[in-house]
Amino acid sequence: MSEMKKIKNLKEFSTSADRFEGANLLCPGCAHSIIVREVLNATNDDLVLSASTGCLEVCTSVYPYTSWDASWIHIGFENGSTAVAGAEAMHKALKNKGRLKQPDRNPKFVSFAGDGASYDIGFQWISGCMERGHNMMHVVLDNEVYANTGGQRSSSTPIGSSATTSPAGRVSYGEKRNKKDMLSIMAAHHIPYAAQVAPNKWKDMVKKIQKGFAVDGPVFINAVSPCTTEWKFDPKDTMMLTDLATDSLVFPLYEIIDGRELNITYRPKNVVPVEEYLAAQGRFKHLFKDEYKYLIKEWQERVDENWAYLNRREEARV
Amino acid sequence: MAFDKMELRDIEVWDGNFAAAQALRQCQIDVVAAYPITPSTPIVEGYAKFLADNYVEGEFVMVESEHAAMSGCIGAAAAGGRVATATSSQGFALMVETLYQASGMRLPIVLNVVNRALAAPLNVNGDHSDMYLGRDSGWIQFDAYCPQDAYDLNFIAFKVSEDHDVRLPAMVHQDGFMTSHTAQGVHTLTDDAAYGFVGVYKPMNDMLDFEHPVTHGVQTEEDWHFEHKARQHNDLMTKVFPKIEKAFEDFEKLSGRKYNMVEKYDMDDADVAVICMGTSVETAREVALEMRAKGIKAGVVGIRVIRPFPFFAIQDALKDVKSIATLDRSAPGGTVGMLFNEMAGAMYNLETRPMLSGKIYGLGGRDLTKAHLVDLFTELQANVDTGKITTPLQQFIGVRGPKLSFL
Amino acid sequence: MANKGWDEFEIGAMLRTFDGSIDDIAGTSQEDRSYSENSSYTASVADWRLIKPVFNKDYCIDCQFCWIYCPDVSIISRDKKLIGVDMDHCKGCGICVEVCPTNPKSLLMYDEHDDEETVIANWPKKDEEEA
Repeated sequence: MSEMKKIKNLKEFSTSADRFEGANLLCPGCAHSIIVREVLNATNDDLVLSASTGCLEVCTSVYPYTSWDASWIHIGFENGSTAVAGAEAMHKALKNKGRLKQPDRNPKFVSFAGDGASYDIGFQWISGCMERGHNMMHVVLDNEVYANTGGQRSSSTPIGSSATTSPAGRVSYGEKRNKKDMLSIMAAHHIPYAAQVAPNKWKDMVKKIQKGFAVDGPVFINAVSPCTTEWKFDPKDTMMLTDLATDSLVFPLYEIIDGRELNITYRPKNVVPVEEYLAAQGRFKHLFKDEYKYLIKEWQERVDENWAYLNRREEARV
Repeated sequence: MAFDKMELRDIEVWDGNFAAAQALRQCQIDVVAAYPITPSTPIVEGYAKFLADNYVEGEFVMVESEHAAMSGCIGAAAAGGRVATATSSQGFALMVETLYQASGMRLPIVLNVVNRALAAPLNVNGDHSDMYLGRDSGWIQFDAYCPQDAYDLNFIAFKVSEDHDVRLPAMVHQDGFMTSHTAQGVHTLTDDAAYGFVGVYKPMNDMLDFEHPVTHGVQTEEDWHFEHKARQHNDLMTKVFPKIEKAFEDFEKLSGRKYNMVEKYDMDDADVAVICMGTSVETAREVALEMRAKGIKAGVVGIRVIRPFPFFAIQDALKDVKSIATLDRSAPGGTVGMLFNEMAGAMYNLETRPMLSGKIYGLGGRDLTKAHLVDLFTELQANVDTGKITTPLQQFIGVRGPKLSFL
Repeated sequence: MANKGWDEFEIGAMLRTFDGSIDDIAGTSQEDRSYSENSSYTASVADWRLIKPVFNKDYCIDCQFCWIYCPDVSIISRDKKLIGVDMDHCKGCGICVEVCPTNPKSLLMYDEHDDEETVIANWPKKDEEEA
């Protein structure tokens, strides 16, 4: 087992040599790449990566350019996680048979996928990987829609969000269903580690990624990825949006160990009203019409209730 | 060597499934990612037992669906090792998208397909509808007519698929139940001879070579896609047959058993011939011999290499035949059978074209009997005698109800 | 990379990032890596920009916020010190300016065609209200 990379502070972290390249096709201001950079820079070990079909995959691997400085595979939409699981199995096999080209290295196996690829079409595949105990990490780049194809709803799309297949209109306020609690579902596989992260709280995120790399077994990470194009805000405001997401507790940051122990890892000094979070995004602007303002109230209640629930679990050590 | 070898008898009584499992054992697969489905399940069960009894090493990943099975195989193959799996019918259909992905990514994988009908209605028995579904998937495809073939063709498949000039995944088909669950005396190779034939896996563009990171599974749009698919097709059309021929030659030297792209039985002077695949080939051959005794110059052509399609070998085998019938074991879905179409394509531009008609038979495991074939050869001879096709172009054999024929 | 014919590239749906072998990628700075023509590192998205960040090192405290929050790996930091902006890879998103904590900011967005020396010479003063 190789030593964990030491990252005391941001200055130390900044000495990382990125293994993800620019001049890709991602939108200016895309949070996906911020997340990917933090994940890849959390370790100095070799990496075997995958991405499911989606923004990250498409924008970083259109022939003849690749933005990946580590081995990387894309097969399809559902199966990015299984691709990495297969590679991990091959690594195990070759290690046992003494056929690894660089036998002393300890590669990390990471699959990246959007919320659509993870919560919906790839759900079974990820569940299989988590259940089988592969030594891998699945990172969800959660922008709450199928962004790459123009912003259709996924089971991660929250109530009141206007997506193209659940659009706000004269008689609709958009998405009717609440967001799927994917983290709980994955944690229920009793994987050693599951966590929600946000790229603005880089230290919290990097710590969790390192924890994930250190455990033996499957890890599930849900990373909030505010999408300038689909959430409808100015590209320069990506980090501001992420701050609102974490500080309003819409995206609470916590971890679940072995599926049975929940720890909240970030408590904002000043909790921001959910309304501020919603007001900053075009996809929620219709909620500020008189007839839909009650939804904002419901939003706040839901977020408060969820926060109380997380606190109860933390206190009860479950 | 941390695992035990098996001392096989010169002839073992194995069904097609167990023969395939034994071949996989002898090839020392690195990763098997698989999902059970009738009638292919015993292949992976046999393999799992070998693993549990320390007759083979490697990782055995029992995934949660056939799509995941092929996905895992692709990830493992891209990582850089020997990979195999098995499936049938619905499972094959479920993994169809990944079949195209595997071949487009030029990854060597061996898939044993135990041919079974596609629902609906649901059916677990043998026919070729799954095989036909995958014909455009860009895989090399072999057809086994019996357990011996199922055993031997796996070695050929690995050898050709993993060749660095080929790098295309390969299927070994066998009839569900009729081959997979029917035992036969199978001539075996020793563990050393078998492994020696396929050789140690040689990686190429392997993800686990950290000093040469690779990106697998890129996207190509209108400016690059055509070139990529053209390259794949070119390699299928020009690189694969020579490698298969060499492998068949080398295998003959090793085992005494010779395989051919197209298996011809009594075709040299045949007036009438039947073209088919799977267990039907042997039945047709027996009947052809009987017809010969009656004075009808009957022959049989079995397709051994389905893909790449042996266009010229077929032309050569059939060009002087007067009347041919194709036997298609798949629901044709509103047109003539695949073999009918492919024979027509191969023979259309010949100076003299045989008369071509076709039969649909054996769907969902319905037997093809010798009586059926006697009638068929008799019909073909009638065509020869009158100089024209005396029957509809498409007839269903062996189905209850009024005689079913079209075209 | 020019549009090659079907027979002029490696098989598979595959690309190589580097020319030859590379021993310790995580321990090698980008400028020392032997990128192939297929790494997007060798491409440029400069033409995406309408506005660009200008870096003024006089005010920079090397906090590295811009380094970590730049989506495009375009803030060049070496030995914990900000060197500048990679203008081949910067898309002009403006995140670096938003996260810069100094007063005045050490990065500001200007029109793509503004002359950097002039801009730096006329850098805004400290915002007393904010301070």
